[in-house]
Amino acid sequence: MSASGSTSTNDIGGRGRGPGITLDRLRGGPVGTFLTLYDDLHMRTIVLIAAGGVLGAIAYRAQVHDLHSPSDRAAATLAYCGAFLVAGIAAWARRPANRLGPLMVITGFALLARQLRYSHDPAIFTAFFALGDLPYALVGHCVFAYPFGRIRDRAERKLVVAGYVTTLVFPLAVLLFFDGRPPLLQYNPLAGPYRSLLRVPSGGRPVELLQKGEIIVFYGVLATLFIVLIARSLVRATPRMRVVLLPLLVAAVTVGLRAVFECVFTFVDRPFAYDYLFWWQTAAIVALPLALLAGLLRSRLARGAVGDLLIALERTSWTGLRNALAEALGDPTLELAFWLPERREFADRLGNDVALPGPDSSQAATLIQRDGEPIAALVHDRSLLEEPELVEAVGAAARLALENARLQAELRVQLKNVEESRARVVAAGDAERRRLERDLHDGAQQRLVAIGIKLRRAQRRLGQGIDPSVEAVLATAVDELKVAVEELRELTQGIHPTILAEGGLSAALGSLADRSSLPVQVHATGERFAPDVEAAAYFVASEALANVVKHADADAALIVMQRQNGTLLIEIADDGIGGASLARGSGLQGLADRLEARGGRLRVESVRGVGTRVVGEIPCAS
Amino acid sequence: MRVVIAEDSVLLREGVAKLLEDEGFELVGRAANADELLLKVRSHEPDVAVVDVRMPPTHTDEGARAAVTIRELHPDVGVLLLSQVVEATFALQLFSESPAGFGYLLKDRVLDVDDFVEAVRRVARGGTVVDPRVVAELLGRIRPNDPVASLTTRERGVLELMAEGRSNSGIGNKLFLSPKTVEAHVHSIFTKLDLAPAADDHRRVLAVLAYLRS
Repeated sequence: MSASGSTSTNDIGGRGRGPGITLDRLRGGPVGTFLTLYDDLHMRTIVLIAAGGVLGAIAYRAQVHDLHSPSDRAAATLAYCGAFLVAGIAAWARRPANRLGPLMVITGFALLARQLRYSHDPAIFTAFFALGDLPYALVGHCVFAYPFGRIRDRAERKLVVAGYVTTLVFPLAVLLFFDGRPPLLQYNPLAGPYRSLLRVPSGGRPVELLQKGEIIVFYGVLATLFIVLIARSLVRATPRMRVVLLPLLVAAVTVGLRAVFECVFTFVDRPFAYDYLFWWQTAAIVALPLALLAGLLRSRLARGAVGDLLIALERTSWTGLRNALAEALGDPTLELAFWLPERREFADRLGNDVALPGPDSSQAATLIQRDGEPIAALVHDRSLLEEPELVEAVGAAARLALENARLQAELRVQLKNVEESRARVVAAGDAERRRLERDLHDGAQQRLVAIGIKLRRAQRRLGQGIDPSVEAVLATAVDELKVAVEELRELTQGIHPTILAEGGLSAALGSLADRSSLPVQVHATGERFAPDVEAAAYFVASEALANVVKHADADAALIVMQRQNGTLLIEIADDGIGGASLARGSGLQGLADRLEARGGRLRVESVRGVGTRVVGEIPCAS
Repeated sequence: MRVVIAEDSVLLREGVAKLLEDEGFELVGRAANADELLLKVRSHEPDVAVVDVRMPPTHTDEGARAAVTIRELHPDVGVLLLSQVVEATFALQLFSESPAGFGYLLKDRVLDVDDFVEAVRRVARGGTVVDPRVVAELLGRIRPNDPVASLTTRERGVLELMAEGRSNSGIGNKLFLSPKTVEAHVHSIFTKLDLAPAADDHRRVLAVLAYLRS
């Protein structure tokens, strides 16, 4: 995957994309941009706070004047409305790219505006009663939009839509039938009178039924589903994501309390604990936006981890680098991928290709760059995309160590290439020998024999009456042809033993033993292997046996061939003087090189006075 | 005598075919690979098939494997395998099933026309042919203290020809000896090597080869 390939990739080190994730600020980049940005933020914050203040005053008046709430209750209501507004403004300023901030601000305003439904003015009453329950659907929306700013789960999205529909449809239906009596739920029976501008004259009075229906649907069914979905997302989350999602626990508690409160309020006479429930609910609703904000800004607290990282990097080993970064980011799933400029792709530390996660993955990648050229990519939990400052700071701190690591990874890749090319060279050499043997066999040898046959036929056609001198010439020619064929056969055997192709390894080992001047026992099965495997095993046996004859002063030798878990083992043992070793510049070293090039190995066990054992291991996955 | 020949080299196939025709054989089929060979053997039921060990497509042991198949499906068809090399171990593997109607010769033996023609006839009649080189290889490993070393030169010659698969009369012709003399030598050899007398020529070949091999 190329450096610019992934849409979920976050750039660090070059110019960042959004104003909030640029490193220019940390590196003293364009100061003008930063000041303009700061002014904009400032302006918006002031306007929003001012608007909130005005609306808050109106809401307070509606509570106290129109609903006849005690002033402490009115203040408490204002507190949780304000909490959403203030937390939302802060989140918007700190995370401009995240839509959760604006959403919380809207929710705060909506909660404040809800209070206007207690107004005695028929127009204001009608308008704000109709929209008065919408803020609670917005609260649910905020919770599910955390932490990414948008709802990604389909079930969650459906629930939020159901919330909006419920909170819009029921109040509108109530307004159609409401004629001033009986008093509306949640309204002070002594306040009023209230008049719906939407009322259509009719016989029935389903107002109380509709209001109770809304409470059952919204606070009963939807709130239960809400808690279930939160529990589900907590259970499904990655370990790191679970920490990020903790504020949702607060949300679940809030909604639980709120549901209990509404149901108790609606269907039971005010119980003993009514007052306590109200204050708990208020505390929970105040805590919710603050928890969401804290979660969004959590990376500011994690900055301290970067200091620890810098110290850890000072003396960390290369595998320790990943662990140190994982700890600093609080993400145990972190993986490192290194950029290989030659191959234009990412690889792990062993040089294996790494594909960076796509947009649908639970992981995301952040590029660490220098001078516009990628050094490495941090493949981390997607939730870290919401904490760009932390990832930036960690990436910046680790850049040098990462660059070292990248160079090591590059070296490893080069080593791997060399090993692969060595294997190819050896394989090509083996293949060439086999081809040469076959060419000699199919070509020259066959042709010589065919010519011999022609001469013999000529000789016999001439029959008894043949001139003795011609007969002698023909006979000599055939004899010389026979010698030529024999010499060619010897030559071919030296290049690649024919019997290996015709009879397989066991036959070739048998022939090796038969030709040896020592008594050699062979234990081999008739199993056939790939030609290159058979050739490698044969040459090990042939060379080792030649060494036994030349150097070991042995009385007998033993050749054992067996397959063991995808490896062909070829063992040559003797009862000679021992003292052989791979290091002594024997032909064994060359054999060992050839086996290693094919991923096998050669072992030599030699004890003085006891004997020598040479074991070749050749991978033969078939 | 009806012959099928299997050999992928056209030059050699035609050469051997003409040679055999000159000698009065009837060439009923020519094959360039193992599949063709099996087809020709099935349709012509020849007396003998002369088969190259290495044939397409892999040029390894197609002919040898086809020989095993022929001997299973058509026990009356003799098979004479020709090879560029002969090896004792491989030969014993080939002969271990049943040596009757089976031969294994070095390809250039065709240049010794009389011997070759005699070998084809022998295999066609259900006899056995073992390349002298195999026998020489086996005898070459005989140690001084082996009973074989105690054989007389003549006995040793008889032993070699026995191992090549020749009958008593064949041995007699080759060595210019009377059948009675040959019989006496054979008896003496079996006694010296402590071998049980064999019921027929094939068993005798196997017994001798196995003895030399051990």
